[in-house]
Amino acid sequence: MTKYFLYSGCSLESSASNYLISVESVFKALGVELREIEDWNCCGASIAYIAANQLSQIVLNARNLALAEAQGGYDIVAPCSSCYIVMNQVNRELEEDPALMKKVNSILAEGNLTYKGSVKVRHVLDVLYNDIGVEKIKGLAKKPLKGIKVGGYVGCQTVRPYGEYDSVERPVVMDRIIEAIGAEPVDFSHKIKCCGSGIFLTELDYGYQLVGDILDSATSKGAKVMTTACPLCQLNLEAYQERVNKALNKSYNIPVTFITQLMAVSFGLDPSKDACLDRNIIPVGKALKAAA
Amino acid sequence: MEGSNMAQKASSKYDPTFAKEVFEKVDSGEEIKKCMQCGVCAASCPLADKMEFSPRRIFAMIRAGERDKVLASGDIMLCTSCYTCIVRCPRKVPVMEVMHGLAHYALRSGFVPRKESSKFGKAFWDCIYKTGRVDEGVAARTYYLADGLVAGAKRGLEMKDIALNMLKHKRMNIMSAIPGIQGKKIKNIASLQKMLDKAEAMGKGGSK
Repeated sequence: MTKYFLYSGCSLESSASNYLISVESVFKALGVELREIEDWNCCGASIAYIAANQLSQIVLNARNLALAEAQGGYDIVAPCSSCYIVMNQVNRELEEDPALMKKVNSILAEGNLTYKGSVKVRHVLDVLYNDIGVEKIKGLAKKPLKGIKVGGYVGCQTVRPYGEYDSVERPVVMDRIIEAIGAEPVDFSHKIKCCGSGIFLTELDYGYQLVGDILDSATSKGAKVMTTACPLCQLNLEAYQERVNKALNKSYNIPVTFITQLMAVSFGLDPSKDACLDRNIIPVGKALKAAA
Repeated sequence: MEGSNMAQKASSKYDPTFAKEVFEKVDSGEEIKKCMQCGVCAASCPLADKMEFSPRRIFAMIRAGERDKVLASGDIMLCTSCYTCIVRCPRKVPVMEVMHGLAHYALRSGFVPRKESSKFGKAFWDCIYKTGRVDEGVAARTYYLADGLVAGAKRGLEMKDIALNMLKHKRMNIMSAIPGIQGKKIKNIASLQKMLDKAEAMGKGGSK
């Protein structure tokens, strides 16, 4: 059985628990084993810079990489785009800069850890598309989501900064997965535009504008359900949708799912226990019933 | 407006001291040496229209020695970290990293480019340093309470709709809303803290 480390990260432990549960169900159905990196710590996301210097954030991620290397060295799969981008970037920088690696190892020594640089960091979309493949996904989709127009909102960090598995400007991988589960991806201009990320905590008005533009772009192309592969994208598009409506005088009412939730439904898994649809704030059921 | 500012700049004295300070003490600060002032970063930034200066102008101001204006500017802390400027810069300047470095350095130097973001950033790091992970509810609570209980309760009430929805859908732990409650610590938190203390001291620009 293929094995990976699942780096769930902090969001999937709480606000994106529906992402975590659906990732685990889908990978189980695909026959892939996911293991936890024992004693993992937060990646620092893109917020650590405010109170911590760059080296501190590098060390946070190097510690996780060192733990993964010592615990079996399997590829790390990160469902959270922020975890993915930060950890992958640190991994690449360590690989390309032996002096930095040496400095970081002198710090990791405080915890009797050392990192050689043998671990790979992958986004969940990368693993689904390149390791598992659309044919296998198609084969498992016993209940294809026929006729459902899905806005595959990739977001910004999901494919960046290196474009290792998809284009940083015109990504296609998410749409290929949407097709594999029988649904119809809609093309829209704001596919990779930023949702505002943590700006919703501090500058709400700016966030409303960014999310409003994304929802406008996708719904104007006929999307009936949105899907993402990033906890903050999902949260901002869904939890703040009512507020966006009030702020911009709109009336969006579009469900926002994680791609693995749609996959779980198409695989015929339990909509609540496996796809975890009942943890979505905007009900998803009606939009997907059209497929049945 | 930009034209007249530039004309003024040309007549004022060029002061390289601040640029040198940025190269030496700001994380990724030396990267701006590669900037050719094309403005692709400014054209790509999702929040450029909310800024007084664009990243490009911030870089020009650094070269012109406008220390206080740069370090006090809210623009250096308005980044959503979307990486668009990084992937598009034709000279491979990691613009976002420079902005992050500037924001961090400004706070260390006694400036507060954005009060709310600074408070949130500190609350977020506080969770990481104390427990090794971020309990989102605890981070939000610590941030709201940064200005005291009354102000925090007011902010919490303003966001009541979001919090209740998250609670109702099992995406938030009610316990984290209670002052004093921390998230669960990772097993080796003590050694992680030692590592972070060392990284703080060994980082560019030295410790605080």
